[in-house]
Amino acid sequence: MLERYWAITVSLFPFLWKGFIETLYISLVAIVVGSLIGFFIGVVRSQRVPVLNGLFGLYIHTLRGTPFLVQLYLFYFVLPNSGISWLSWDSITAAFVALSVYTSSYVAEIVKAAIEAVPRGQSEAATALGMTRLERLWYVVLPQALKLTVPPMSGVYVMIIKSTAILSVIGISELTRQGEISILRFPRDVLFIYGLIAAMYFVYCYPVLRFARWAERRVGAARIVDLD
Amino acid sequence: MSANPIVVVDKISKTFPSADGRGSHLALDEVSLTIEPGQVLVIIGPSGSGKSTLLRTLNALEKFDTGNIVVNGVALADKRTDLNRMRAEIGMVFQHFNLFQHKTALENVVLPQVVVRGRPRSEALVRARDLLEKVGIADRANHYPSQLSGGQQQRVAIARALAMDPKIMLFDEATSALDPEMVGGILDLMRKLARDGMTMAVVTHEMGFAREVADRIIFMDQGRIVEEGEPGSFFASPSHERTRAFLDQIL
Repeated sequence: MLERYWAITVSLFPFLWKGFIETLYISLVAIVVGSLIGFFIGVVRSQRVPVLNGLFGLYIHTLRGTPFLVQLYLFYFVLPNSGISWLSWDSITAAFVALSVYTSSYVAEIVKAAIEAVPRGQSEAATALGMTRLERLWYVVLPQALKLTVPPMSGVYVMIIKSTAILSVIGISELTRQGEISILRFPRDVLFIYGLIAAMYFVYCYPVLRFARWAERRVGAARIVDLD
Repeated sequence: MSANPIVVVDKISKTFPSADGRGSHLALDEVSLTIEPGQVLVIIGPSGSGKSTLLRTLNALEKFDTGNIVVNGVALADKRTDLNRMRAEIGMVFQHFNLFQHKTALENVVLPQVVVRGRPRSEALVRARDLLEKVGIADRANHYPSQLSGGQQQRVAIARALAMDPKIMLFDEATSALDPEMVGGILDLMRKLARDGMTMAVVTHEMGFAREVADRIIFMDQGRIVEEGEPGSFFASPSHERTRAFLDQIL
């Protein structure tokens, strides 16, 4: 029995590994791009910029209030039908865009909440010292807000990593898709193969959560520094 | 009255929306006052009398509806006034210190010098060390605010304000949040500042300090200045019933 599982593992591993690398690649791009967009939107929203605030609010709530699968279909199947040539994306582009946009909607809300969680006295003191609005944000509020984003952000990242599994429906050969193909080769071992896939996701996600806890403790702990 | 007061408050009024959301309440009611260079003005009054609001209008942390304030020759009601530049000339010390939590004591004093004054970092560091020494906290320069007691944090906050070379210092109940044994040290520092000629506006409940350090005392109630005078006559023979009642309660 064990030998059989070992044989399956050995023969499937190159395929699953390829899928894993694809998952890693797509999720990292989505996390980086989505975080940058989300960070920008979150900062703008925290500053209550008149028109942008409403627009970004609509963006965020639309994305958060609809399933990722539906968004993915929109980007992949519906946009190309619009007849606008530069919106005719291949599956990988659609995947990047859909996942980045989805990520940004969560990051934006986290960043906004973190900025608002920095005590008002902090920016009040900065104001009283004569700092401009941007200086207060950059030197006083953001450094403290970023610290607060670490725990919720890691939760979002893990969610995004797991969401890449959905990309299999538009033919991206990421980990889940590679697994499904493998199952065609070994139809009797569905449970084992899915177990293998789950383990590979876990190997990726768990360190992210551990890292978050480590980072949280590290940035959260006050320490004495020597400046010179 | 000398020719060039550093602060002129001319009939300012301000309304806040009341707590229940309906109607509004008058926080400041045609308040006028002047502060001369080198003078120490102490503002006292029951809570909700508008004394902190008044202090906070002086550096435009709080807006007012009507009237005008001129600080260092700059009119706050004027839309063209650069409020940030104006604030750089006014030091403020808060009840809850408000030190930047992510910076060490030393960096708290360095940051505004570099950002607002544009001083080279090396120069700002020298000045910061010097000031921390002066407020008696040089040995804690590399500690974060969370590692300091309230009294120590307030010393750093005073050093931070002084680092900007302000023309006037505002103290908003600077000792109210401190443990009793810390209060004396902070009051001593303020006393020293006053003796060195700093212009100060002080909101406080410390009557001993008011009596001893103030050049002039203002008693506020319900957004109005009820009584105003030299500490000697103010405490010895207050002319208003409301002032007498207040002093009876706290002395």
